[in-house]
Amino acid sequence: MKRKGLMTIVLAACVAITSVFSGCSSKTADTSTKDNGKITIKFLHRWPMEPNKSFLDKVVADYEKANPNIKIDMQSVANDSYKEKIKVILGTADAPDVFFSWSGEFMYRFVRENKIYDLTSALNQDGWKDTLMESQLKPFTLNDKTYGIPYSVDGKVFFYNTKIFKDNGLEVPTTFDEFLKVCATLKSKGITPIAFGNQSPWACIHYIGTLNQKVVAEDVRAKDYAAATGEFTDPGYVEALKKYQQLIPYFNANSNAIKHDQARISFVNGKCAMMYCETQEVGEVEKLQASDFQWSMFKFPDVTDGKGDQTKLTGAPEGFVISANTKHPKEAIAFLKYLTGKEVGLEEVKDTGILNGMKDIYNTSNADSKVIEAAKIINTSKDIVQWLDTDLNAQVANEYLSDTQLLTGGNITPEAMMQKIQKVAKQVKSGTN
Amino acid sequence: MKERKIAPYVYIFPTLLLVIVFVYIPIIQNFYFSFFKMSSYSTVKTFVGLKNYIRIFADDIFYTALINNTLYAIISLIFQVGIGLCLAMLLESSFVAPKLRTFFRSIYFIPSVISITVVALIFQFVYTPDIGILNGILKVIGLSKYTHAWLGDTKTAMYSIIAMSQWQYVGYIMMLFIVAIQKIPEDVYEAADIDGATGIQKAIFITIPQVKEMTLVTSVITVIGAFKVFTEVYVMTTGGPGTSTQVLGTYLYRSAFLNDEMGYASAIGVIIFFITSILSFIQIKISKSGKD
Amino acid sequence: MNKKKYFLASKVLINIVLFILILIVLYPLYWTIINSLKTNNELFASPFSIPHKLNFSNYISAWNQGLSQYFLNSVYVSVVAIGITVFLSALCAYGLTQFDIKGKNVIFMIVLGGLMLSPEVALVSLYKILQTLHLYNTRWAMIIPYIAFKLPFCVFLMRSYFISFPKDMEEAATIDGCNSFQVFYKIIVPISLPIFASTAIMDALFVWNEFTYALVFVEDKTIQTIPVGLMAFRDSLNTDWAVLLAGITIATLPMVILFLCMQKYFVKGLTSGAVKG
Repeated sequence: MKRKGLMTIVLAACVAITSVFSGCSSKTADTSTKDNGKITIKFLHRWPMEPNKSFLDKVVADYEKANPNIKIDMQSVANDSYKEKIKVILGTADAPDVFFSWSGEFMYRFVRENKIYDLTSALNQDGWKDTLMESQLKPFTLNDKTYGIPYSVDGKVFFYNTKIFKDNGLEVPTTFDEFLKVCATLKSKGITPIAFGNQSPWACIHYIGTLNQKVVAEDVRAKDYAAATGEFTDPGYVEALKKYQQLIPYFNANSNAIKHDQARISFVNGKCAMMYCETQEVGEVEKLQASDFQWSMFKFPDVTDGKGDQTKLTGAPEGFVISANTKHPKEAIAFLKYLTGKEVGLEEVKDTGILNGMKDIYNTSNADSKVIEAAKIINTSKDIVQWLDTDLNAQVANEYLSDTQLLTGGNITPEAMMQKIQKVAKQVKSGTN
Repeated sequence: MKERKIAPYVYIFPTLLLVIVFVYIPIIQNFYFSFFKMSSYSTVKTFVGLKNYIRIFADDIFYTALINNTLYAIISLIFQVGIGLCLAMLLESSFVAPKLRTFFRSIYFIPSVISITVVALIFQFVYTPDIGILNGILKVIGLSKYTHAWLGDTKTAMYSIIAMSQWQYVGYIMMLFIVAIQKIPEDVYEAADIDGATGIQKAIFITIPQVKEMTLVTSVITVIGAFKVFTEVYVMTTGGPGTSTQVLGTYLYRSAFLNDEMGYASAIGVIIFFITSILSFIQIKISKSGKD
Repeated sequence: MNKKKYFLASKVLINIVLFILILIVLYPLYWTIINSLKTNNELFASPFSIPHKLNFSNYISAWNQGLSQYFLNSVYVSVVAIGITVFLSALCAYGLTQFDIKGKNVIFMIVLGGLMLSPEVALVSLYKILQTLHLYNTRWAMIIPYIAFKLPFCVFLMRSYFISFPKDMEEAATIDGCNSFQVFYKIIVPISLPIFASTAIMDALFVWNEFTYALVFVEDKTIQTIPVGLMAFRDSLNTDWAVLLAGITIATLPMVILFLCMQKYFVKGLTSGAVKG
């Protein structure tokens, strides 16, 4: 026993010593290194799950084959953790060269801290800018400078089970009141009207974001969403929450304990008739569904007494940006251009059902009917409205996020919730002055 | 001879250096940061004096977190220390056959060697509403009206998480008590037997006083642990639903990395520091006095 | 006779309660294992039944989807951190107890003071310090804080063991011409193996489970350890729960088996220190 113990100690010491040396080498490793003449580009995205993961693996492999002097070091972090992780990473010198970002305020805050590379001049070269949809570049633009390129164009719509609707003689609702009637009919027939998973509270935020936009006047909302002038005192906000409350009885049970993806399963297997989803999710539904599953989509119904713009679509492009501290801007831009370009885009539509920001990216050969349907809705919307939680500064957004779970569970009134939001908005406002 | 004068300093140096650089300095820096406003990715920080602290004391979420940590501490005391002690006494008593003792001990102890993340993930399956174990059992024994969305309801979420901790650590504390009980000299019990004491009397008047020191130590460990909680909550609910399961640790993390408020997070850190260091201080005092 | 009956009845009752507790402890683990052997659809359809067929593909899936990496990283980080911690704390305790140096009590108090400081408090500042030292996102970002935070306790343990050594033991060796380091590994180390083992085990419990620092200080999946890796694993699997359960089982089994084999040392380690955190 004594000898065995001594050996263990010696072994441990050896491991410790050798690891000091191996640790030293990894310590001095740079973010993008030149390794036998190869340039390494660090690439971070938010899809560790299918179908996007395999698709991006393929994109990277193809690019490396076509560009043998480039190596892409790819990592992925899931949606919910990504929002925190990227902030942690951007605080270090270790930022990835090319990384995912939501548009709007989410990206703007990093731009203000000079963390994002300005792509304006690169876009003006070789007509790159003209190949992209202007409406999708706008959310990535701040003060006339563009910082990001769209990878996925997205809109929030209601997916609905056409067979259930047909069997119950229901028509697609065009107003909010009609929508409530449809829900009531479904419920009376014992069918759960809406699939809803709010364990990650962004699911509810999407509803509230849409309702805010439809109920509150545009200029008021623009003023409130800006950190320096936000007050949220307009009664429309309370009204929007009350309208959301009208939907709660039609959700499946225990929505606060179920994740959005789990809820989607009950839509796909016919247990629930509708679900408020992103057009991005078309591919995921098609992967799960049985061959005889019939479904389609419709826009969020108009709120007839609402003061906001009823034609706008909630949704925002997601895309990629380049770190301001990248050591290889030329190579990073080249990769970014490829990633968000036509060649990849055509495959992207086919493999994942996601549309990127290029003009004319889809046609009947690479997109199925659902994707084309989704594209039509996005293209015919006059303008898009950002997701609430990426459009607001972090503190107000987080207050909204946590309170929506309380609202859904019936633990807070709309008035009380708006009071909490007003308090946080006030704090933020005074902080920025 | 000279070697003996220098050598000890050489031996002590690495430890001292590591502790000062990676423990003391960060704590001091944390104090410093708590007087600023900054975010993790920002290049500048703005001095705000005591503003962060003033905000903390007006912050509802802070109080929710504080209450949750305290709840954690109290329930952990009752279960881990209380039931741990009872289990230890039972297992060391004549009620349990000596052959079975190791069996019971080992099984009860197993949860504490499992990684916290694993336990949290397993318990997400226990608590999930539709196919979860807890609701399943309730249905089977005819109590289906008590089925719940345990982690989705603000009233039950925190208790569900605390319950999971008890499952994990009661066995650990029990083991500590078992060793303490085994150290009690036999003749104390023999004297009691001669006086005709019953089992319960022996337990109350001999065993419990004899393990007083261990009771104090386990109490302090449990309470300190309750104020340092992070992983359990982060993995299971990240503080939700709403903010009902926020604890000081997760609120610190959220402020630093979600709300872009590192200064505020540092201030929360300072408060955790005061609470845990006072408790640690008490623990050291107890251990030292016991050893002397 | 009455007393005997009462005793027997209590005995039966108590043993029943104890067995129920065994079920409470074991059932979630049992559930995890049987469901990890089902297909995902079977899991959702009948979560409480025994699997129709033993489906080991989930395990292969889990192992290939990165679990092997997390596991190896945890082992690496643990072995290095524990090895260095035991070594440095023993050295430090040696220096503090076997020599007559000025200010040894002050130094000990400084080191011990580290015990009072909780890791979470240092999160923000350590994050910044590790960046400055270019250690962020390396294995050392975890290993060094683990060592630094556990040294106070380990020195405390070692010191209380070393302080009881008789002085003449090493005087004999010194006369033979050994320098102090030789005294250390020739004499002190061999007789301290029990305390080394106990210290190592106490440290292992902490290092193996550490989550917060692994979460914040390391981003790269290839060096991530089990606690955080499992979370990323859960996220990437979305609703493929059967594979997730298989992954959980793989992550848990080694420690459980290690414990069952080395129970004696575990218990010894606990009692020498009796500190959980």
